[in-house]
Amino acid sequence: MTKKKFNWRTLCIILTFIFLYMPIGVLIFFSFNESDSTAVFSGFSLRWYKELFTDTATLNALKNTLILAVLSSIISTIIGTAAAYGISKMKNKYLKNATMSATQIPMINPEIVTGISMMLLFVFVANVLKISSFNGFWTVLIAHITFNLPYVILLVLPKFKEMDKSLPEAALDLGCTPFQSFFKVELPAIMPGIVAGFIMAFTLSIDDFVISYFTTGSGFETLPIRIYSMTKKRVTPDMYALSTLIFVTILVLLLISNFTSGKNKIELSKKAKKVMKIIGGSVFGMIGITTIVVLCISATTEVKTVNVYNWGEYISDGGYDTIDVNREFEEWAENYYKEKGKKVKVQVNYTTYASNEDLYSKIANGAGGYDIIVPSDYMLEKMQKEGLLQPLDLEKIPNCKFINSQFDGMFLYDNTYKNDSDKIVVEKDNKKTYGIAYTYGIIGIIYNSSQITEEQAPKAYERIESGEAGWELLFGEPIPDKDGKYQYDKDGKMIVDTTYLEELKGQILQFNNPRDAFGAAMYYLDIDVNNPTEDDWKAVYGLLATQKDYVQGYVMDEIYNKMEKGEAWIAAYYAGDCLSMMSESADDVELGFYYPKNKDGKPQTNVFADAMCIPASANQDNLELAHMYINFMLEPEIAYANAEYIYYGCPYDYTNIFDYLVFDENNELVLDENGLPVFDMELYEKNLAYVEVYRENLGEDYDIIYNADFENDLLNPNKLRDMFDKFAYKDLTNSYMEGTDVSNLDMLNESWEQLKVASTSMVGIYVTCLVIALAIVAYIVYVQIKKRKQRRLYWANTPTPKAKPKDEPSPDLSATAVIAIEKAKKRDKDSQK
Amino acid sequence: MTKKNILKQAAAYPHIVWAIIFIIAPLLFVAYYAFTDKEGVFTLANLGQLAQATYLEVFLRSVCFAFLATVICFVIAYPVAYFISRTSPSAQKILVMLVMLPQWLNFLIRTYSWMAILEDTGIINIILGVLGLNIHMINTPGAVILGMVYNFLPYMIIPIHSAMTKIDPRVLEAASDLGCSPLRVVTKVVFPLSLSGVISGITMVFVPSISTFYISQKLGGGNFDLIGDSIERQFQTQYDYNMGAAMSFVLMLLIIASMAVMNKYSDDEGGMLV
Repeated sequence: MTKKKFNWRTLCIILTFIFLYMPIGVLIFFSFNESDSTAVFSGFSLRWYKELFTDTATLNALKNTLILAVLSSIISTIIGTAAAYGISKMKNKYLKNATMSATQIPMINPEIVTGISMMLLFVFVANVLKISSFNGFWTVLIAHITFNLPYVILLVLPKFKEMDKSLPEAALDLGCTPFQSFFKVELPAIMPGIVAGFIMAFTLSIDDFVISYFTTGSGFETLPIRIYSMTKKRVTPDMYALSTLIFVTILVLLLISNFTSGKNKIELSKKAKKVMKIIGGSVFGMIGITTIVVLCISATTEVKTVNVYNWGEYISDGGYDTIDVNREFEEWAENYYKEKGKKVKVQVNYTTYASNEDLYSKIANGAGGYDIIVPSDYMLEKMQKEGLLQPLDLEKIPNCKFINSQFDGMFLYDNTYKNDSDKIVVEKDNKKTYGIAYTYGIIGIIYNSSQITEEQAPKAYERIESGEAGWELLFGEPIPDKDGKYQYDKDGKMIVDTTYLEELKGQILQFNNPRDAFGAAMYYLDIDVNNPTEDDWKAVYGLLATQKDYVQGYVMDEIYNKMEKGEAWIAAYYAGDCLSMMSESADDVELGFYYPKNKDGKPQTNVFADAMCIPASANQDNLELAHMYINFMLEPEIAYANAEYIYYGCPYDYTNIFDYLVFDENNELVLDENGLPVFDMELYEKNLAYVEVYRENLGEDYDIIYNADFENDLLNPNKLRDMFDKFAYKDLTNSYMEGTDVSNLDMLNESWEQLKVASTSMVGIYVTCLVIALAIVAYIVYVQIKKRKQRRLYWANTPTPKAKPKDEPSPDLSATAVIAIEKAKKRDKDSQK
Repeated sequence: MTKKNILKQAAAYPHIVWAIIFIIAPLLFVAYYAFTDKEGVFTLANLGQLAQATYLEVFLRSVCFAFLATVICFVIAYPVAYFISRTSPSAQKILVMLVMLPQWLNFLIRTYSWMAILEDTGIINIILGVLGLNIHMINTPGAVILGMVYNFLPYMIIPIHSAMTKIDPRVLEAASDLGCSPLRVVTKVVFPLSLSGVISGITMVFVPSISTFYISQKLGGGNFDLIGDSIERQFQTQYDYNMGAAMSFVLMLLIIASMAVMNKYSDDEGGMLV
């Protein structure tokens, strides 16, 4: 009998654990992957573990996360325990209730609201105090303490309530001072609650992403933030490796603690304690020594920092035989100062974001302290107009002569907007450069040629094979009426020829960002992306609404895994990223790529450039270093290392001999004895060699990245400027639809909101919900009625059936939660005992 | 005595000050934004906009998803918590820690792993493929709910389990001695006594599920927008703080209301149990 039961229980527990640990098994498995992919396993290797230990930014984020978790949980445990003590002694009911309600708020508030509300507070305070920004560490620490506090209080409070009130009294009677009574008697009694509160706080803090994300300032990045900012490119397996290491460490610690506290305790304890003492002592000793050493060093040398805020996975970071650009810069800059006779320690504080919009909301909200940011073209223009950027001092960036002449003047604005006490002041005729191009790229279409075959999708296959394919594979071909106007159904969906869509139904991936999704549709319909009319908006909305029924999902970084594994057949994405998908795809998945064109072979796609800028709020003391950093990025070795890593176009041209003219200190040309200008031929040849190596390394991919063989040559690097004028997004904020006061940005957002919010039919879910809800209500009613009946029977003969046996304080929500948590804690403690 | 007591109360003051500055004040900002337009003029337009059919649907969807996730969590967690609480103390300790352990790994990464499991070419379908089956799971409402269940299940198991460990085993013995079948022991004795754990478990699952935004994007393919997604978009890509604050405000009211209802219900039950 017992055996049967035992099996059933064990099975239930085992199944739950399989459920809980399945994803962890998957991530451990892929942490040993040979390639970049987290979806296609290409072979066993320890590569990512090696890379992890060279990835300073990730290790730094890990360190930040741990420090933050430890500090915030300690502080919140102290404040929380004191608060629980105070609350338990409160006699005033209203004060008590008010305090408890306020305490609960962070628990029941959605994290995102907590995060944003705190961000608003910090920005407000920073404005009042007239400081550009807070140190990110302190703001995140405050935020973490804030959301940890309720859990600590709710876990500790019940312990005070449970504690025998006569204990402290007895202690006092026996001659203890109140302090002694607290520390010797009360504290041990509530210890389980404190420990549970600490563990809870630590767990919450270590995994928090949303709140840290909104409250962090410059230069402070935690691990979850770092992982999230990878979501434009991809989450790399070194994160999996890190997770695996964390998992194994905790598991081992758990097992050890269990082992030592188990039955073997008595035998082991003496020895174990000794060993533990030695280990603990040496660890603390090491930490102490390191701190002292670090303090000594930092006391004697000047530290200069440059805070770089870049896209996730957007710089060569030293993994897998690549250059660690930031480390190189630190060394280079330290040498530079050394030659000048200054001993300076240079630090690059490198943090990352996931989208232009994320960057903007940080900078626009007054999060200062960033010295270099890398917005895209349209965002750069928007920020410049709003006075969020400062002009660059090109004299401090001598390497800017290497910028491809196509980019000359690209980020040169003749109006300087300055945000002066809420008014935007326009200074005319004051041309300044606000950005130095970092990368550029084009949106193209990636497709799975092992699925889009003659058998499975004949029409689409034919279209791609013809070499003239465009957006129609993703959107279908609009069917205009007799007057050539687009037709819509009653929901505003455009009526299109769905031949291709039907073939590819459920296999299409669309951008999960409004600008690129609507942009693609606009390019397809030959609408000027920077000046659409109301009809145009209607048309692109209709096109996307129609497409929605055929789309598998709206994705960003997930596209990598999905395309590589053959989960989806066709999608539009940034060309460089498409190439990296092609090289990582699974054995049975063959990926192809093309640039969308219209019927006449004219390109119909977006060109973008990301540029390095210095925000207006940058620290004045860091400006010199910031310019040096930008200049360093233009060194050919560095630029190509980045370009190879990112797989986007490199906007620099090292082949122009005139960039190598030699000037003297008066900025005059140096002439040789024949009166001819002197060229720095050594540098020229050295740089040319870098170009060679880069081209060789890229191989065939070069053509796709740089479109060298695009038929009408419009995407050729030498025609870039044309492309930009025609196809790049401009700032839409201040642009209004002609003849209206409706801004295009509002149209974009509203259309997107409508598209995303409008439901795909989910009647099934609603019905299920309703049925379950009804069942629960019915059950409760049934139970209540039954109980009432019983009670009536029970009390039938008693004169006062008023069945409030005790004046019980209504257990409010927090109290119940507290009790539960407390119980859990107690159990933990008991078992530890 | 009273003086001493006031002194003791003072231990709570740092927390009260902290709560006023960092909990109450930020919420005032949210309320301020929710009831003003971009120029800072009082308006109800933001809230009015939420009454539109599309937003109502988003709210309804979020509530449904979170509700289903909570129900499923409860159905899984209750027996598991019960079985764990019936094992030996040392085994319990290990099992409880094992339940919490996944939470120490990054939530984004774990959600990412689920994508690899649920996809059409994912692990489950590879296994099913041997049997000649293929079930489409990713980008469905079911996948989103599964993601919620996975991420919040430990927060259901732990409180229920701790409530159960507090139950005096003698009570259970007494019940079966008095002729209760094992099932009746659970429904008539264990369940009422573990109700406080159930309530806090429900709170700890329902609240984060209703406001989550990452899970629905990754496992739902961006096809099923939840309130969390909408709020995040308002703040992050559309810079419409007023609208975002209005949504947050409504969401907050919604949660507080449902908590209050549940509280009342649990209060009744608790009262009757006594």
